[in-house]
Amino acid sequence: MIQFIAWVVSLFCMLAIAFVFVFVALKSGQRENYEPIVKKWYKVRKVYGISLVVLIAIVSVYTLRNLPYNQPVYGKGIEPIVVGVEAFQFGFDISQREFNVGDSVEFDVTTADVTHGFGIYDEDMNLIAQTQAMPEYTNTVYITFTKPGTYQILCLEYCGLAHHIMVDQLVVKE
Amino acid sequence: MGANTVLKTRNNQVVLQLIISGVVIVAMIVFGVIMLLAQGGVIELSAAAFYQMLTIHGTGMIGAAALAGSAVMWYFLDHYVNLSKKIFNTNLICFLIGVVMVIIGVFSFEYASGWTFLYPLPALSAGAWGTVGALLYLGGMLLIGVGFLLLFIDTGRAIIQKYGSLGKGLGWDVIAGKKSELDAPPAAVVASTMVTIVNISALTAGATVLVMNIINVVNPAITFDPLLAKNLTYAFGHIFANSTIYMAVVAVYEILSRATNRPWKSNKPFLIAWTSSTILTMIVYPHHLLMDSVMPKWILVMGQVLSYANGLPVLIITAYGALMIVYKSGIKWEMPSALMFLSMFGWTSGAIPAIVDATIVVNHVMHNTKWVPGHFHLYMGLGVVAMVFGFMYYLAKNDSSIQTNGMDRFAFVVYLLSMLGVSGSFLVSGAISTPRRFATHIPEWMGPAQFGAYSGILVALALSIFIIHFVRYLVVRRKALPTTGRAQQGMI
Repeated sequence: MIQFIAWVVSLFCMLAIAFVFVFVALKSGQRENYEPIVKKWYKVRKVYGISLVVLIAIVSVYTLRNLPYNQPVYGKGIEPIVVGVEAFQFGFDISQREFNVGDSVEFDVTTADVTHGFGIYDEDMNLIAQTQAMPEYTNTVYITFTKPGTYQILCLEYCGLAHHIMVDQLVVKE
Repeated sequence: MGANTVLKTRNNQVVLQLIISGVVIVAMIVFGVIMLLAQGGVIELSAAAFYQMLTIHGTGMIGAAALAGSAVMWYFLDHYVNLSKKIFNTNLICFLIGVVMVIIGVFSFEYASGWTFLYPLPALSAGAWGTVGALLYLGGMLLIGVGFLLLFIDTGRAIIQKYGSLGKGLGWDVIAGKKSELDAPPAAVVASTMVTIVNISALTAGATVLVMNIINVVNPAITFDPLLAKNLTYAFGHIFANSTIYMAVVAVYEILSRATNRPWKSNKPFLIAWTSSTILTMIVYPHHLLMDSVMPKWILVMGQVLSYANGLPVLIITAYGALMIVYKSGIKWEMPSALMFLSMFGWTSGAIPAIVDATIVVNHVMHNTKWVPGHFHLYMGLGVVAMVFGFMYYLAKNDSSIQTNGMDRFAFVVYLLSMLGVSGSFLVSGAISTPRRFATHIPEWMGPAQFGAYSGILVALALSIFIIHFVRYLVVRRKALPTTGRAQQGMI
């Protein structure tokens, strides 16, 4: 869902930019005195600039409300299942691999050697959450499983020649 | 005669750096195409070969963009300040020796850490490569970095000598109202000052983390803080890669201004935008660490907000300025001006996926997917590369009598469409959660990779045609220079 929104928003903005560039290119054959153009379009720029700043402020406030670094269930008095993950070249040690639908899980992720990624993919191979596995540090990623199925864990940070086959699985039951 | 000789020699190195960069870019595209074909299931490639190509592709592209960008910047900045040719030369020598070390390290000693050499991967390869390969690669990168560091220390020295300080090179006295806009430093000086500041910072961070890695490779018992190393790596990588467009954009200012016969003034909004870019470029890199929850949360939040803000200078000032200067200008489109105009589209449109991905909740499901290369293939492939080749056409036009032909215009169209194809294929891959830096793909991810590969072949063909034009110019120039002194015209 988020990927779809990101794609649509990006495509819309890029097409809008393309439209403006094509429009200006088409108008470039005409010749007019530059001074009036500067005067007029500096005024427009002021409005355009302020609009962009306001847009950034609104989008920032909206998207920063719920950060993935915060576990929402703690606020509701529910304790998540805490799962320890240690990545290594080229696999994962995961303290628990089976869950039930509705389980809120906190994955505490670290690594025994180099930096790895810990990406959780749903059954349709959509990436639904991730964090980095870093030596000497423990990063945390939270997820509440809403659908049963077999979830894939992929390493999402290049870690050596077998990086692409560093895969594991989680099972979520009804 | 003496003056002519000096100018010709200076121009020679600019030309040499451009042709090296052009050829390297095409060679790196070939590696890119091979990797995409492997991901698309069209050819078989061993994991070792794939990741070696990945390492050389990233290193080579950033290196070529920096070498070409610095040539563009040096060419124009040299009109306004007194740069050291010896340092310019030293940088090229360091670059070439460094490149040889990197190539030997990767292809002879199978070193494959990716161009980000994320600590402690260079030392812990799981048996894939050894100490010699790692030292050759890291040492080569360090040498290249030292060369560029010397170059930017020299540009800083020259700017300070002429304008009094780097602050004045950015026009702070004009912003403060102490000096009239009419006396503001030219756009080329302002941009070069920005690049000088950000790259001295970036290269210092890069050299530090390279030395840390080298020590760790030589003696694995000596370790460093991985989070510090990661911060230094991305501070270096983000800023240095980003700076290539700020180096090359100098050509946009100069070429579009001349083509439209309209001034691109260093007014207050322009100067404020460049000061903003200077600060923001240096501090937005934490958007590469959004998936490290151990980072202080406020830094990650700032990483998002500042990344949004970093889009403003180009969207409101630079690209807007390019559109305004072209609008109803009666411009006669030629290859240099067309490529410069296109580059501004590549820059602005390429910034959009980056801004979107800098949103923490988006990054949570798109970080390290192919969305990220989607952004920088558009940004660099249609931004920096268009600027560099546009500048090549500009030099050819100014320095010689050779004309562009239908092939060049055809190549322009092919380049535009195929580069959109490459970037689009990466963005689509990212949107369907395809991880980046994967030697193989599941069937669902193969289609966009194949499309990207075939588009990449067309990009290589188009850029080869651009290079052929430049080679034609080199041949003409070689014959014409001693008698006509045309190179001098290009320098003035």
